[in-house]
Amino acid sequence: MSLIGTVVGVYIPYIAAFIFVVGVLYRVFQWSRSAVPFNITTTCGQQYSLPWLKRTWIDRFDSPFTWWETVIRMLMEIFLFRSLWKNVRYELPAQKAVSTKWLWVFGLVFHWSLLIVLIRHFRFFLEPVPWFVSTLMKLDGFFEVHMDWFQPHMTHILITGLTLLVALLYLLYRRLAFPKERTFSLPSDYIALILLLGVATTGLLMRYVYPVDVSEVKALAQGLLSFHPPANPDLDLMFMLHLLFVSTLLAYFPFSKLMHSAGIFFSPTRNMPNNCRAKRHVNPWNYPVKGVDWNEFYENFKDDLDEIEQMGFVVRPEEY
Amino acid sequence: MSDTEVKFEDMEKFEIVQRFSNWKELLKPSAEMRKGFYSYAASLKDQEYLNLPFPREWSPLDDDWKLPPNWKEIIINKMDELRKKYRSFQVFMDICVRCGACADKCHYYIGTGDPKNMPVVRAELLRSIYRKYFTKTGKVFGEYAGARELTEDVIKEWYIYYFQCSECRRCSVFCPYGIDTAEITMLARELLNSIGISQRFTLTSAAACVRTGNHLGLNPGGVVNSIQYAVDDIKEITGIDVEVPVNKKGADILFVTPSGDYFAQPHWFTFIGYLMIFHELDLDYTMSTYAAEGGNFGFFHSFEVAKKINQKIYKEAKRLGVKWILGGECGHMWRVKHQYMATFVDDTYEDALKSLEEPVNPITGTKFENASSTKMVHILEFLADILKHKKLKIDKSRNDHLRVTHHDSCNIARGMGLFEEPRYVIKSVCNYYYDMPDHSIREKSYCCGSGAGLLADELFELRMRGGMPRAMAVKYVHERYGVNHVTAACAIDRAAIPTLLQYWKLPVQMGGVTELVANAMIMSGEKERDTDLRGNPLGEYLEVEV
Repeated sequence: MSLIGTVVGVYIPYIAAFIFVVGVLYRVFQWSRSAVPFNITTTCGQQYSLPWLKRTWIDRFDSPFTWWETVIRMLMEIFLFRSLWKNVRYELPAQKAVSTKWLWVFGLVFHWSLLIVLIRHFRFFLEPVPWFVSTLMKLDGFFEVHMDWFQPHMTHILITGLTLLVALLYLLYRRLAFPKERTFSLPSDYIALILLLGVATTGLLMRYVYPVDVSEVKALAQGLLSFHPPANPDLDLMFMLHLLFVSTLLAYFPFSKLMHSAGIFFSPTRNMPNNCRAKRHVNPWNYPVKGVDWNEFYENFKDDLDEIEQMGFVVRPEEY
Repeated sequence: MSDTEVKFEDMEKFEIVQRFSNWKELLKPSAEMRKGFYSYAASLKDQEYLNLPFPREWSPLDDDWKLPPNWKEIIINKMDELRKKYRSFQVFMDICVRCGACADKCHYYIGTGDPKNMPVVRAELLRSIYRKYFTKTGKVFGEYAGARELTEDVIKEWYIYYFQCSECRRCSVFCPYGIDTAEITMLARELLNSIGISQRFTLTSAAACVRTGNHLGLNPGGVVNSIQYAVDDIKEITGIDVEVPVNKKGADILFVTPSGDYFAQPHWFTFIGYLMIFHELDLDYTMSTYAAEGGNFGFFHSFEVAKKINQKIYKEAKRLGVKWILGGECGHMWRVKHQYMATFVDDTYEDALKSLEEPVNPITGTKFENASSTKMVHILEFLADILKHKKLKIDKSRNDHLRVTHHDSCNIARGMGLFEEPRYVIKSVCNYYYDMPDHSIREKSYCCGSGAGLLADELFELRMRGGMPRAMAVKYVHERYGVNHVTAACAIDRAAIPTLLQYWKLPVQMGGVTELVANAMIMSGEKERDTDLRGNPLGEYLEVEV
């Protein structure tokens, strides 16, 4: 048993973490190395032009002119999914688009739940547990449920763990059930969801159904973090499954669409201000292209152009 | 612009068949050329004139597209080059999660039901190749990682579907990462160009623009003739002699407008509108026959051709010694002017940009701070400023026969953010203004269906289908408020929307914003007017014939 514990608890997580870190850095490095030739921001609100022209707060962040407006646009995109909020569905017989927020709701629930669950996991790695982690735990567990008949140790239902699962199930459901989504979903879209579902399910099972020895888990987590992993750890089956899913997900991450989490920061249609005419953007690989210059143009249309000169460069109405 | 000659009989009725296949099906290239959905190939003459790679006669209907022998290698190398040149390309290829928020935002998808017109799938057409040749997972797992082999059919599929995208960026508004299909389409067209595949309509206009200075291929004499007709028309309508400076050195402002304005309908009324207003303001400006085009069809083809066309404007501004540049009502022109123009400038004409001054409105003294680097101001920013300072005498009741709505053109909506200026201008000169439903205006505006080189006649069915959401939004305000006039600050819209309204049988006319200003403007010394610029009687509600 202890050999499996070492492989699953130590070797695999280290390899996965290595692939994750190096892979993500490599991808980010590759993106940042390629040029941004043009300012192609997508303007979703009124531009800054004449000072008296009405520009709402929302316009300023959907069509930012200054750098701080751009930062707020990015923050709204990252933390509130601003663009998804705008989502509409086109209804063919009625010939109109109606607002639809389900993807926004479940997308936001999934990502926020995942973030909170991740922060909660700090308590396994850090000793003493930082104040924000314990506060978050308290907030997350404000439903105190005593179900002694089910699990004697359980007093808190941690909401985000459950919302994470529900949101993931919805995201999977829409790919399977909606015709458009089923049409363009690739195997890799399902793989990402299945891995995340695996992580979430094993985590929930550990918490509510098959309790694991938390002190053992904590010893392993702290050992891994300090590069002194415990020798021959004796791990529960459910925990090992959880760890395997997490490791697979980490190793898969840099090769997959999950890179969107880093990529959004690099998206030129969102991270650039709409000040294209006020501030010149420089294309690093710009090169001269020969066009027709005035002299060549004049040679080609000499007669016409001389005639315009004879007219004194002015076109007047003909006499009636 | 032979738009009005399009025959409707084959197209009396169409149905939208929504097809839902699966990812494996989508990976198979669909290379079938269906009438109304594929573009004609660029002519040899234009390819040669623009020095494009591998010029030749070819047709999309041929089995053999006469690609260069090492075409595959060229595409892969070009992709590698673009990957390094455009961060957008690499990031947009890597981070899509296929959430589907973009899927039904594309007007071509709504109108055709073809899954490959969903923005996410349109990007996958390229992404699948990118995965195969540039990512580990694609190399190892192939099809199961959503990767596929680059074949001639893939090239054909690209040609079909990347010329079914009008680069309107509507999907980019809804994408949680801002993935912009316009950017992907532009890069895909760059790739196609590298093996000598271009679309006829785009390239004919671009080549004409390089040669003559405008997309229509008018000689300088032709431009002058158009202006001649315009001043004659103005004299007939108002009784006033309007003089238009052309190629005049030492003026304050160079005025540049899309060449469609020179004679197409209903652009014409916007064109005479500009000239009337400039005369009334006694503006010191000039037009140019060298920089006679604001639009840039090169932008729909490749970086190089776009630059070729755009440099004329700055070069001409310097030659004429103007202080700054004023631009007419055009859509993609303003995407280029706003986001690309100053960036295009290289050392060979840096001095031209430097020779200009920060734009100041000579009539009101307003500094256009937002254009301080590019030195190019939009006519509607200019007019909003003029109207705010009450520098024109306006009789709003002259537009009382119209119930007006405004179509936000894609490029100035999502590539510039010009929403309030047109509304301010229209409301200053019209008593009856109604917005279309929220999902169809401002940043959510639907394309007319004909942008980015898709105005070609052979794409007629696609255009009418793609324009359907816009037409239905117009129908809504027509039925509800009696709207009989759509404005749009875009020359492509002015060419495409009348046909669209006719096809969808809506008794609504359309035109530019400036036209309405000129309608309502009382010129000093003008004769009594009882019609608008189009000759429609003033006063009673205008019934437009279908």
